[in-house]
Amino acid sequence: MANSYIKKTAFIKFEMVQTDNLTFRYKSREQIFNFPNINLKKQESLLILGKSGIGKTTFLHLLAGLLKPAKGKVLIDTVDLNSLQNNKLDKFRGKKIGLVFQKKRAIESLTVFENLQARLFFSKKEINNKKIEALLTQLDLSEIKKSKPNKLSEGQLQRLSIALAVIHDPQVILADEPTASLDDENCKNVIRLLKNQAEQTNANLIVITHDHRINSYFKNSITL
Amino acid sequence: MNIWSISIQNIKSKPLYTFLSTFSLSLSIGLLIGIQQLKTSFKTQIESNLGEIDIVIGAKGSPLQLVLASVLHLDNPTGNISYNEVERINSHPMVQLAVPISYGDNYKGFRIVETTPEYKTFYNAEMASGRPVEKSMEVVLGSTVAQQLHLKIGDTFYSAHGLIENSIDVHTDELTVVGILKPTQKVIDRLLLTNLESIWDAHNHEVDNHTIHEHNHEHNYEKEITSLLVNLKSPRGLLTFPRIVNKNTNLQAVLPKYELNKLYEYTSVGFKTVSWIAYLILLISGITIFASLYKMVNERAFDLAILRTYGASNFQLIKMVVYEGLIVVFSAFLLGGIFIKIGLYITVSFMQPSSQQSILKEIPFQEMLYIGFLILTMLILAISLAIYQIIKMNISTILSNEK
Repeated sequence: MANSYIKKTAFIKFEMVQTDNLTFRYKSREQIFNFPNINLKKQESLLILGKSGIGKTTFLHLLAGLLKPAKGKVLIDTVDLNSLQNNKLDKFRGKKIGLVFQKKRAIESLTVFENLQARLFFSKKEINNKKIEALLTQLDLSEIKKSKPNKLSEGQLQRLSIALAVIHDPQVILADEPTASLDDENCKNVIRLLKNQAEQTNANLIVITHDHRINSYFKNSITL
Repeated sequence: MNIWSISIQNIKSKPLYTFLSTFSLSLSIGLLIGIQQLKTSFKTQIESNLGEIDIVIGAKGSPLQLVLASVLHLDNPTGNISYNEVERINSHPMVQLAVPISYGDNYKGFRIVETTPEYKTFYNAEMASGRPVEKSMEVVLGSTVAQQLHLKIGDTFYSAHGLIENSIDVHTDELTVVGILKPTQKVIDRLLLTNLESIWDAHNHEVDNHTIHEHNHEHNYEKEITSLLVNLKSPRGLLTFPRIVNKNTNLQAVLPKYELNKLYEYTSVGFKTVSWIAYLILLISGITIFASLYKMVNERAFDLAILRTYGASNFQLIKMVVYEGLIVVFSAFLLGGIFIKIGLYITVSFMQPSSQQSILKEIPFQEMLYIGFLILTMLILAISLAIYQIIKMNISTILSNEK
């Protein structure tokens, strides 16, 4: 696995996202995943590239605290995710992390607007309707705010996923294959949108992908 | 935005499932409440018709028939007894009151009971208008009779022989309405009351006419009654007094409460069967709710996993499922209650248009509590099985497999 980025960031202090000798093994598999150390300052972005099956999503889930590592640590804003009990980890994740999934989905029974309200509710953030309206306008989703997710186009769902990942002002945005199956134009739009939102909210953006089209948008990248 | 509103939106998003679960559950709840209400009403109706009557004395025969005929006025009498017995029984030290009754005539299907003024005291019946019977061939009407036959004070009519309406075998002596009783919701509402002399006079008159015209010899008419309704001074007499009567006379003395309880036990077999059917439907509804919740958790595993990434705890997700179950159950309870209220009201209206309100008695609070407890237990079981998936949910696996 490549470790080019480790060298670049080794000197940085007060990192927002930091991993230390992360390893993981699925119970049902022999394969052990060893992941490179990363150290990201506030607002820094990182692209993680890798082929299918190399453990990209596993790495992202470890960063989000959705998986527990076999060894090593994940520190977000100096908090070791492994040290948190499940409930506290849920709360921490809800407040500090925004996730964009490859398959764009939201809660089917809620409208676009209600989905964003629910996101704020579970993050224990104030449900600020004006803020939601503003974000929807920015992402060109205002007109469909009363629609249910199953009525949205692929592009609208993608933008909604991004809105859901940033509405609560997270410190870290983690995106899993956000441009998979998108044409060049949409790929560009999505990455710009993600970077834009990360800048506006002063968040770190970590994107994992096998899509090399987006390399040029990131100063920092590692390959698994 | 809160857990409740998400649960409500979830329910609204699957209307068919919600409707089917709620409807089937409401049917079984309605059936259970209905059966309990009918049982309660039936028992209350029987017990209230007993009034203060401790013992019924009549001609030998079926004890239940004697009670049904003399107390509930539903069957034919077992026979007649001599009026002379009244004095003997009344003078017994254990007896508080012995009221003779005689019946065998009707007016348009409503029974005419010849008795003494004390009969009304068994049912605490009071005059609504007019006055009590003072002389032969006067009659006081129960409230249902007055209402259904549109009779008023001063009206006259001819009674017919037997207990079934007929226009062939009619008495020649005219009866005059002198009073109407207030409603009591008891059997007295369906009766016409007159004094014993009325029947003796009518029958004497008819026997005399018959004798003169056909046999031309004198007939010595013995006064008879159908039965005696006895109120004892002390409950201790309930065991000893019937034994004394049954041993020393040609009469039979029966405890109406005992006989009616036996009748209730016989009829309750039907109630029990329907109750079991209701429990079975309840169980099926429970399984439907479980299946619905289980399916919901399964189908929405990705939604639930996403909510966890939003910061929702397991407890919040469980609350969401519990609220959905509770909304279905409470809607079903409400619907079931409304269904059965309307259903019973309509049924009873057909059976007895004038007194539907009085026949149906509310279920005792304990019974409602029991039904509520059963449903809640079923709900807890269904929810516990459904939420087990949430507890063991691996968010990472769910989110990865969705790709």
